[in-house]
Amino acid sequence: MKTVSAFIAYQCKRCGRMHYPFHDRCMDCKGREFEEVKPQGNAKLLTYTAIFSLPCGFDQRFLILGVAEFEGNVKALGQVKADSVDQLKVGMIVKSSWEPIRFQSGEDVYGLKFEPLE
Amino acid sequence: MRDVAIIGAGMIPFGRRDEDTLMDMLACASLNALDDAGLGDQLVDAVYVANVGGGMLQRQTAIASSLADRLSLLPAAAETIENGPASGASAVKNGLLAIASGYYDTALVVGGEKMHEVDSHHATDFVSAMTHPQAEYLYGITMPGLGGLFARLYMEKYGVTREHLHAVTLKNHAMGALNPYANFKKPLNDKDIFDGPQALVNNPILADPLRLYDLCPISDGAAALVLSTVDIAKKSGRPYVVIAGFGQATDTHTLAERADPTELKAVSLSARKAFAMANLKPSDIHVAELHDAFTILEIAESERIGFFNEGEGGDAVSSGKTRLGGQIPINVSGGLKARGHPMGATGVAQIVDIVWQLRHELPENRQVKNAEIGLTINFGGFANNVLCFILRRVEA
Ligand SMILES: [Zn+2]
Repeated sequence: MKTVSAFIAYQCKRCGRMHYPFHDRCMDCKGREFEEVKPQGNAKLLTYTAIFSLPCGFDQRFLILGVAEFEGNVKALGQVKADSVDQLKVGMIVKSSWEPIRFQSGEDVYGLKFEPLE
Repeated sequence: MRDVAIIGAGMIPFGRRDEDTLMDMLACASLNALDDAGLGDQLVDAVYVANVGGGMLQRQTAIASSLADRLSLLPAAAETIENGPASGASAVKNGLLAIASGYYDTALVVGGEKMHEVDSHHATDFVSAMTHPQAEYLYGITMPGLGGLFARLYMEKYGVTREHLHAVTLKNHAMGALNPYANFKKPLNDKDIFDGPQALVNNPILADPLRLYDLCPISDGAAALVLSTVDIAKKSGRPYVVIAGFGQATDTHTLAERADPTELKAVSLSARKAFAMANLKPSDIHVAELHDAFTILEIAESERIGFFNEGEGGDAVSSGKTRLGGQIPINVSGGLKARGHPMGATGVAQIVDIVWQLRHELPENRQVKNAEIGLTINFGGFANNVLCFILRRVEA
């Protein structure tokens, strides 16, 4: 499996619209060329959940997931570093990082993690 | 385009059906629908089978060819339709277009799923396989998890409360208890599930803020319809149902990418298209089966279709507007919540239930009086592929 080394969003070269995940044509102007951008740093938590019935491949009791919005209108799902949803609030600022999110076929798979700053 | 009629409807009880194979269930529901249509030993021109998990769970593909053979419908045309949880409605749509075009005169449409083939972790993983491979699935998100993300947004934006969600659960379980085809045939006690000291034990949080009884169960089951031209339907000498409106729309694969995920754009668009085709409006509908995989969805869909204004769906359930005898009875079958959600079966089962309603065949405690027009919403992915049907009763 291809290892992705950072969170990458895709900006349309024709109209500037940001996309995540990848689309083959721009959602607005249908342009086909994109600039890879790397949204980093802080993001705003838009919604979150804790799931207690996990799919196979996760050996833990629960998993907290959230959607956060980066600067430039890129929104993405990530795992949230918190012990409980009680520590979370819609609209709070989270720090993003690119870390192992699951273990698959003998190796770590990397993805977005969000850590509450408040 | 010719009008298309539904002349046969059949189902088998949903639930845990360890004794049946997927093919047994599909065949049994199909024969029920063929018998109901009065086709006896006759053939149909085409077979459309809705199924999602055959390849993943049963290691069986090309299911429609197998079914045509089992039912001795050869040389009928046959296709398997996989469109996630909306596969059922997609199969019906294929039958509709084939007959409306004039190419075929009759079609058997059947949907089925055997989800208890595997344990619940693998079933959860199977259902999650419809999420975006990189942007969602890898993170461990499940469909209930997406439901939780959506519920938090919707509840915060519109003031939907836990009590509103409870009202959906109670209503749909009460109706499921009366439905011999339902997975859950037990009405729920308020005290056990919501208020009492054991409430959090009996009804634990599974996808915050959603609890166990906010989620549809994992079910086995199958449902079938026979579609035909109106000329054939007229010969039956009894009331029949026509497909008056149909609409379908897609939305972004990921929930996160939508400008406002609470909008459920594909729901409103598909409904708008169906209403336009039928030349009807939301207040013309007498009974509806909505895709309540999670309680919050019944409330949200009831608003996006236009039964209620934005933000009023929760109070509508709590005040009884959506129960039998109310302004617009929703999920009188028990819905996905209580009837169950064997993925490929659901969209077909919703239409079977509406057909029974419009033919006035149900017992008094489940029949919407004088129902003539019904609506269904079958919802794929997390609202990224939605089909709406409007059905109308025609007197013999
Ligand atoms: Zn563009």
